[in-house]
Order: sequence, then structure tokens, then C-alpha cells
Amino acid sequence: MGLSGKPDGPDSLTYGIMRITKDTQVEEIVKIRGVVSYFIQHGVSPISCSGAFPQSLGNLLSIKKVADPDAFIEGLNAYIEDQAQK
Amino acid sequence: MTRYVDENYKLFIDGKWVEGGGKKFETHCPADGKLLATCAEADKGDIDRAVSAAWRAFETWKDVNPQERQRILLKIADLMEANAEKLAMVETLDNGKPIRETRAIDIPLSIDHFRYFAGVVRAEEGAATMIDKDTMSLILREPIGVVGQIIPWNFPLTMAAWKLAPALAAGDCVVIKPSSETPLSILELAKLLAEVLPPGVVNVVTGRGSTTGNYMLEHPGFRKLAFTGSTEVGYSIAEAAAKKIIPATLELGGKSANIFFPDCPWEKAIEGLQIGILFNQGQVCCAGSRVFVHEAIYDKFLKEAVAAFEKVKVGLPWEDGTQMGSQINEVQVEKILGYIEVGKKEGAKVATGGYRLTERGLDKGCFIAPTIFTEVNNKMRIAQEEIFGPVVCFIKFKDEADVIKMANDSEYGLGGAVWTKDINRAFRVARAIETGRMWVNNYNSLPAHAPFGGYKKSGIGRETHKMILEHYTQKKNIFISLSEKKVGLY
Repeated sequence: MGLSGKPDGPDSLTYGIMRITKDTQVEEIVKIRGVVSYFIQHGVSPISCSGAFPQSLGNLLSIKKVADPDAFIEGLNAYIEDQAQK
Repeated sequence: MTRYVDENYKLFIDGKWVEGGGKKFETHCPADGKLLATCAEADKGDIDRAVSAAWRAFETWKDVNPQERQRILLKIADLMEANAEKLAMVETLDNGKPIRETRAIDIPLSIDHFRYFAGVVRAEEGAATMIDKDTMSLILREPIGVVGQIIPWNFPLTMAAWKLAPALAAGDCVVIKPSSETPLSILELAKLLAEVLPPGVVNVVTGRGSTTGNYMLEHPGFRKLAFTGSTEVGYSIAEAAAKKIIPATLELGGKSANIFFPDCPWEKAIEGLQIGILFNQGQVCCAGSRVFVHEAIYDKFLKEAVAAFEKVKVGLPWEDGTQMGSQINEVQVEKILGYIEVGKKEGAKVATGGYRLTERGLDKGCFIAPTIFTEVNNKMRIAQEEIFGPVVCFIKFKDEADVIKMANDSEYGLGGAVWTKDINRAFRVARAIETGRMWVNNYNSLPAHAPFGGYKKSGIGRETHKMILEHYTQKKNIFISLSEKKVGLY
């Protein structure tokens, strides 16, 4: 299910096709199924009543004062790959 | 079922429905996943056209006299009232909130907002002061110009009314962007506005935040920004306004304290707990998500609260008996369930709920059981971060000083309540909590005529009251010498 509660297309259900960087738009990242859990577990909410954060992941991590953004992003990519293999 | 919405919606710019330059996007009912409509996405050119149209309209709208502006605002309210059932159902389908709430709260409050500002506009006056016997100072309020407004998905039509009514009353013109999750009720409202407003006075642009929203923030043509949404996005709005040296009003997040003393009006208090966190599925910026209960009544209060939560009918939002509907979308469900896991890891206990509901026809939607966490410490993440769902944290307190300290230990300060029959205590606690709105023996009442807005990171400015006109106008001082004599300096 996607942002609008609908089943998404195949691309958004396929793990591992997107390498997340600090420049990746949060709106694109949250289309990946299960990825919001990673954000919440690591203290960053990527969505709100405004919808998905409308800028890059780097900007979100900066606003949320994440101490080690590179580690967050590395962990996120590992999480996505791990989910893809399950 | 009767079809309440169109299959396709365009942008409403300069009084006309026009195709957007961006990608089209779909909006679905979160309660069953069904496609509701396809909407246009505004690109940069569309924002340019909307802003230009608004400035053209402003040339005449700014001089429309208060009597006429009042008549138009009242007419908008009348049209909304005549279409209330349709607007209620559109809101319910697009957002997932129960029809009993949209019929009784969202739509009537929105209508009343236009009526309130229709009244206010006739009572507004400037000021005149004699600085000395020969010098007069006049202070006039003038409309600020074209305003950019961005609103969230949790109360689409109500937030639109909170923004549009004062702007129109002030003589401003507007470009408004609803959330791409819930654009339909505002687009339906635009059809009604088209019947009474001159072209360009209100322009509705739809699209995602990362495209349409950001184009609005980058546009140099706005004289003011008004935003309701998250604190994270609020930073971007404030930054965009600062770069243009224009004002911004911001209504942002919250983690509000709902405080229960032993002498609370018991049955009303149990209901107030539910209104605080279950209304709109807990997707309320001022939700009473931190519940502080005095130790003398904690066990009894918790027991009755659990029983009350377990009786709540969660169901399809368009059914009359439904008390709690669907969350807004799948990622919001994921977020809420994520926080429930965080709470468990932090050591809190789930007293009721804590899971997704999929039975009795709810399997295609986004339903969460009303959830109570106990054994919560106010420092825990679930007590500090906005979950935005029907999840409440119970925290025990010993005395007034104890609860005031914990309630204020939050980066937010939007809502809150104190439940007691002791009037002195009610005022002491209400005054001590650092928040823009404290309810006493009620919760989530949000009528026009009482200002609403946040302290701390919950925002800047107060809406739902005539004082918001301060933000939609600018002050002109006319300084007059009545004397015929020279000053004598040259």
C-alpha cells in the first residue's frame, strides 16, 4: 500500500533497487514498504500531518539533529537490503 | 453508493479550472483503498499563474468594502451549509474520519468560521490619536496582499476555513495548497467559492509538498505564508519566509498533557480522555496524548479507561455507528505501529490495543485499535514524540508541582487540559502549563471566537479568533500636521 492507501506499482515494492543517499527525497524513500519502521526505531519520523517530509533525507536528518547522518543512511540501506532478502 | 466526487479534478486558478503542468496523482479512500479521483499537480508555471491571478484580483478585492466582504463570507457559509452532507461525505471518504464527526464537527465548524469572520469584519476599526494639539496620528489596517497557505490532511476543510476566512475578511487574495492526501473537500469548496468570489481571489493548487509546496515556498510573489503542519516542515516555511522578509504564521506539532485530579467530574473526564486521543483517530496536533493521572485515582481511572477504549466502535467511516475510522494511510499505520514497538522496548506496557484491526471488513483499510500505554516515564520517546494516532501514555503523578513539571517537560506547547472541580486548582494549573490552549473540564473544543495556537515549537500566531487579522493585515500610519505654521528648522 502506498501513501494514498493504494497498492503501489512493482517498483515501489521492490527492495534494493534504490540506493539511498542524503540527496534522496524522503517522499521517494517512504514508498518503500516497511522503511518507516526503520526511521521510527532510529528516532526520526519521515511523515506527519504535512505528508512525507517534502525535502531530501539530508535536510530531514539535519533538522532532527541526527548526530551521525552517514551511519543513519548506511543503516537504512542495509535495512532495505535485508528486507529484500527476506 | 452515490458518487460524491468527480473522477478528475483540475487546478482552480483565476476562477477557471485548468490542467496542471505536473504529473497527475490519485487520491484513494484510506478505509478501503478504492480510487476516489485523479488530481492535477501544479508545477512552477501554475504557481506563477496562480500568484499573478491573485495579484490582479487584489487590485479590486482590496477595496471591496466591509459590507460586501461580509455579504460574500456569509454567502460562502450558506453555500457550504446547503452542501453540508456532500462536503461531509467527501471529507470522510478522502480522509477516513467518521461521518458522525464530519457531519457534527468538521463541516459545521468550517461554516461557522466564515460566519464568525463575516461578523468580525464589520466591527474592525482603526485608531486615531492626537499626538499633541496640532498633530494627529491615524492607524489604518490594510490588507497585506497575496498570501500563500499550505494545509495538512488531518482536518482539510476546517484548516482551509481557518485560513481562508480571515484572509478574505482582511481583503487579501490567496493561493492555497491542500495536502495531496486529501485535496477533494477543498476542491469541492472551490466550486462553491467560484459562485461568489471574483476570479483570482482564491486559487487552489494541488500537488505534492516536494513539488507544488516547494514551488510555493520559493515563489517571490507572496507577502505572507500561513501553514499548518509538522514542526519539521515548519522550519522550512519559516526559513522561506525569512529569506523573503515576509511574515509567517505557523500552527505545528504537539504532545499535549491531559491532567486528571481526584476530584475530576468522573464520567465526563473518562469521555474527555477519549475525545482527547480518539477524536479523528488521534490525528490531531493538540491531541491529549500524555495523560497524567493522580496516584489516588490511577488504578480505578485506568481500569475504566481500558473498558471505555475497548467499547469504542472502530469501523468503516461512512457508517453512522462508527466512532473511530481509518488512519490516513498505510505509512501512518506503519509509523504508529513503529512507535508501539518503541514503547514496548522502552519498558512501557500495553494495557489495551497496540495492534492493527483487520476484521469485520477492515482488512483493506488503515485501522488501529485504541491503545493505552502504562508504566510510562515522561522521558520516554513515546511520551515526547508526536505519534499522531490513537495511542495514549498514562503517567502517574503525586501533586500539582509534580504534574506541572512533567507536563512542561516537552518541546511542544499547543494544547492541554486539566480536569478538576476545584476552581483555584484549575486556574493554577492552567496558568502554569506552557501551552497556547488549556481546556478546563473539556478537550478538543475548537470553535471560532477563541484563539488557538502554540507556545514553544508548536508554532507562531493564533487562529480561530479575530486576532489573526493582525497577521493578514499591515498597519498604515497617517501622520498629520494640522498646523499652518512652519516647523522653523530651515
